[in-house]
Amino acid sequence: MQKRLGIISLFIILFIAFIIIWNFSYQTGLKEAYIPITNTNSNALIPAEDKVFERSGFALEYANMPIDENHQRTLETYYTNRAYPGAPPSIPHAVKEERSMGGNTCLQCHQHGGFVAKFDAYAPVTPHPEMINCRQCHVVQNTEAFFTQTGFQKIKAPKAGVNNALPGSPPMIPHQIQMRENCLACHAGPAAPKEIRVTHPERINCKQCHVPDHNKVKEAAIFVRKNTEQNE
Amino acid sequence: MPIKSYLAHPYEGKKNELIEALSSLQQCEVTPAQNNELLILVTETDCQVDEDMLKEKLDTISSLKLLTLVSGFNTSQNY
Amino acid sequence: MYATLTNRRKFIKKMAVLSAMTAAATMFPGILFADEQEKGIPDHANLDWKKAPCRFCGVGCGVLVGTENGKAVAVKGDPNSPVNKGLCCVKGYHSIMALYGKDRLTKPLVKKNGKYVETSMKEALDLVASKMKETINDHGKDAVSIYGSGQWTIPDGYAASKLFKGCIGTNNVEANARLCMASAVTGFMTSFGIDEPMGCYEDIDHADVFFLWGNNMAEMHPVLFSRLLDQRLKRGVKIIDFATRTTRTSMAADKSILFKPQTDLAVANAICYEIIKNGWVNTSFVEQHCNFSKGLTNMGYGLEDHYKFKDKPEKINFESYKKFLEEYTPEKVAKISGVAAKDIKYMASLYGNPNKKVMSLWCMGMNQHSRGTWINNLVYNIHLLTGKISEPGNSPFSLTGQPSACGTVREVGTLTHKLPHGVVMNKKHREFAAKIWDVPVENIAPKPTYHTVEMFRALDRGDIRFMWIQVTNPMVTMPKLKRYRDGVKKEGRFIVVSDIYPTPTTDIADVILPSAMWIEREGMYGNSERRTQYFEQMVEPPGEAISDTWQIIEVAKRLGYEKQFYYKEETHIEEIYTEYRKHHNNKKHNMAPLEVLKSQSGAMWPYVDGKSTKWRFNAKYDPACSNGKDFHFYGKPDGKAIIWQRPYEPAAEEPDNEYPFWLNTGRVVEHWHTGSMTRRIPVLHKAMPHAYVELHPDDAKRMQIRTGDKVKLTTRRGEIVLPASINQRGVPAPMQVFVPFFDEHMLINDITLDSFCPISKEPDYKKCAVKVEKV
Repeated sequence: MQKRLGIISLFIILFIAFIIIWNFSYQTGLKEAYIPITNTNSNALIPAEDKVFERSGFALEYANMPIDENHQRTLETYYTNRAYPGAPPSIPHAVKEERSMGGNTCLQCHQHGGFVAKFDAYAPVTPHPEMINCRQCHVVQNTEAFFTQTGFQKIKAPKAGVNNALPGSPPMIPHQIQMRENCLACHAGPAAPKEIRVTHPERINCKQCHVPDHNKVKEAAIFVRKNTEQNE
Repeated sequence: MPIKSYLAHPYEGKKNELIEALSSLQQCEVTPAQNNELLILVTETDCQVDEDMLKEKLDTISSLKLLTLVSGFNTSQNY
Repeated sequence: MYATLTNRRKFIKKMAVLSAMTAAATMFPGILFADEQEKGIPDHANLDWKKAPCRFCGVGCGVLVGTENGKAVAVKGDPNSPVNKGLCCVKGYHSIMALYGKDRLTKPLVKKNGKYVETSMKEALDLVASKMKETINDHGKDAVSIYGSGQWTIPDGYAASKLFKGCIGTNNVEANARLCMASAVTGFMTSFGIDEPMGCYEDIDHADVFFLWGNNMAEMHPVLFSRLLDQRLKRGVKIIDFATRTTRTSMAADKSILFKPQTDLAVANAICYEIIKNGWVNTSFVEQHCNFSKGLTNMGYGLEDHYKFKDKPEKINFESYKKFLEEYTPEKVAKISGVAAKDIKYMASLYGNPNKKVMSLWCMGMNQHSRGTWINNLVYNIHLLTGKISEPGNSPFSLTGQPSACGTVREVGTLTHKLPHGVVMNKKHREFAAKIWDVPVENIAPKPTYHTVEMFRALDRGDIRFMWIQVTNPMVTMPKLKRYRDGVKKEGRFIVVSDIYPTPTTDIADVILPSAMWIEREGMYGNSERRTQYFEQMVEPPGEAISDTWQIIEVAKRLGYEKQFYYKEETHIEEIYTEYRKHHNNKKHNMAPLEVLKSQSGAMWPYVDGKSTKWRFNAKYDPACSNGKDFHFYGKPDGKAIIWQRPYEPAAEEPDNEYPFWLNTGRVVEHWHTGSMTRRIPVLHKAMPHAYVELHPDDAKRMQIRTGDKVKLTTRRGEIVLPASINQRGVPAPMQVFVPFFDEHMLINDITLDSFCPISKEPDYKKCAVKVEKV
């Protein structure tokens, strides 16, 4: 009797173990296959380089566009709604939807530009359309008045036409390019200020000829070698 | 809105100093001559009061020997 | 309203300025004011514009140099040049500023008791000649050597070769193109039996797909890359960037595919495998025009002194080639190379598509490769299998990095085994050269001596005692630099350096000769597309500087070779060129006469019956084809090109636990080679003031390195500290770093490896193992 009970309880234990194991494996099988995510794409994007080519698809259109003499922007007005050269420009017109953070509300005009009859002007093209929370940086000017006067000194904007080293050589880039890597956005098309509108928008590898001038060059002794000193 | 143009003569050897001094004033635009100690100054102010203030500032520039007025315009206030 | 107001005020202002100008003009007649619109741009009308090929890279852009009062003052692209059609790059536009660095060498300097003393040119040349004589007497003629470069003009290289090979009788003539183009040469020689590309730049206007094999063209050959971009805008061509590092080119390309260093060998074979598997082989072309061969494998890497290697080619058939390729299925290669199998298949499908014209372009990525000859062969294989070669738009195209790497080093043959026509090993070639050179044929030694790396090793060992270095800067560019720098400083070595600025190479010189550069003299360059271009002297060289050609001639005369160096000072360039043309007086290589070069933007050899040849080996365009078929690869005796069976072999030194990163070196758009010229151009120096080490952002994050932080690189050769650059100009793949080599204050070549391709002897600057630490 005891022997029989022992055998039965052994089988019961085995049976229960079987059910548990089977259940476990069944449950595991139900789980979705998990593939560890490793970043296999090592083709990094280099913002400073990538964006140069971003609007290059329109280069030929820019090249063939007639110039609308009557609605040209100038560098002067370009800098008037910036607190300093390089500052985000304020929005010089009423916004369509006050509750919008920007995005399509702004991009519908400012992604590709175009003439806006209401303002009798061409919409400037943003160099960074992928940043859609526009109004985190760009604000509307609702008053011309001051709270109190400011002593802030607006530094001089870089001048156009004086940045070339030789007569006729390609000018250097006199401004910072962070978030302005996309050259054609500001330098081509009808909204580009006329002084800085590129004559050759079809040449899209801009940095082939135009190199930045903003690097602070440490004067590491202007390259005087020992043997030239001994020369004296 | 008066716009005036002058010929500005610097003291000898102080041309660059003068260019700097003048271009630091917001209402002034300077066009230096390439081969002479002379520069053209164009001023643009909003009203007569500003114009007088500018005059005072110009008088304090030490590198300026002589300032001769060439022409003056005043745009209509209607615009 | 607002607009009208500002316009009106602007107008009034202009009027005000004008009246002031008139007033000033009455007081000071002739007074000049820069017009507001043209501030800084003086009147171009007074300038005297003359044409020249650009001084820098091998593209060979035509530039117009404006001179005024004996000084070069402006540059513009030559609109008549078929190379660049009026466009230059930033280096070209500012190239003339390289003439006017304040520390230009103007007087010969001779080292006396450790100090440099100014002497006259006559005395300096006397000293050079007497030292050469003395060295030849004491140590034999193989103890003197000359080391030049692809920046030598054609007359420079010709005079050097004639003096050393013809007159003195030593084959110790080498040029830095060995470090740069040797694999391209051996690639051409093994596949086609004759050097230099069959196609030309015009292929760009015809091709539908461009493959850039490890070629950052946007920075290194920017003007040609702009031609590619033009074509993409106009015709929608595809640009595929196949590289180990993400660059400006990758950003501009339609597709960027990254592979692990050295595995391009495997990928090229996989592309061939796919082409055969899918039946994309142009069977009739291959049957008529191609042979199959294999060579030795496991060649080694030339790391030890006196390393010798000679390939033993062996003919095989298509079946055994096909069998060999079975090791290179896309799936297997994906594992080695890190390139997805579908990307390999995609590339193969573009090469295989019979309706697409394909151009492959490459430069140092394939040439500075420890299997450089092989990878050149393998890319030709792809083009030969598909028959996409020697036709407008179907073109494997090997680019060059120096203005006359082709013109001087490869065509004149300033390499140890070469003669202007043929090689020193061939008796007939020696006889031919000796006749033109007017020297006894026994003078020309039948055995090549040292290739560049071995030449500097010989200098270190003392086998070479005298070296004359012209227009190059080996003390920046030699791999594993420290050994060679220590070597040249040893007692009993006499080094003459001809250059225009003090460099790390002039630092080790016993005599420094000031040279006239580029447009300060007359000369010719030959670019990548076989185009020979002439430039006249436009400005006077500074001080006592004279051209490298004339330096060699003067020394040759002092050595007693007046008969061979009969040239007159006023006309020596013309005389030399005319004499040089005799070496190539045949349909396969004829050079255009000087009048032609003077009258137009260069001419492409073979220049036959008054016409440049654009596509060689193609009967339609090339008068040298004589087999009556469409194509004739006349470089080989049987008129057939060779498809080579070349396996994948690893690099000489791959990353391990101790040195876990790959080290890659290269250039940037602003600086050219060692920067001895471009760093003296303020515009370029401001834009790129010093070298840096690029890291992948993930590696940088893990090691907590930010841009500007100091990073120490250590290899088995030494260590160097550089500022880090993350996400800036380029991004290397994870566990790889990249350093540009232009900066003589941060000599990356101190730590690179001197392994080389056993066939071409060209060092692999792109691959060695390195440890990276934040300092």
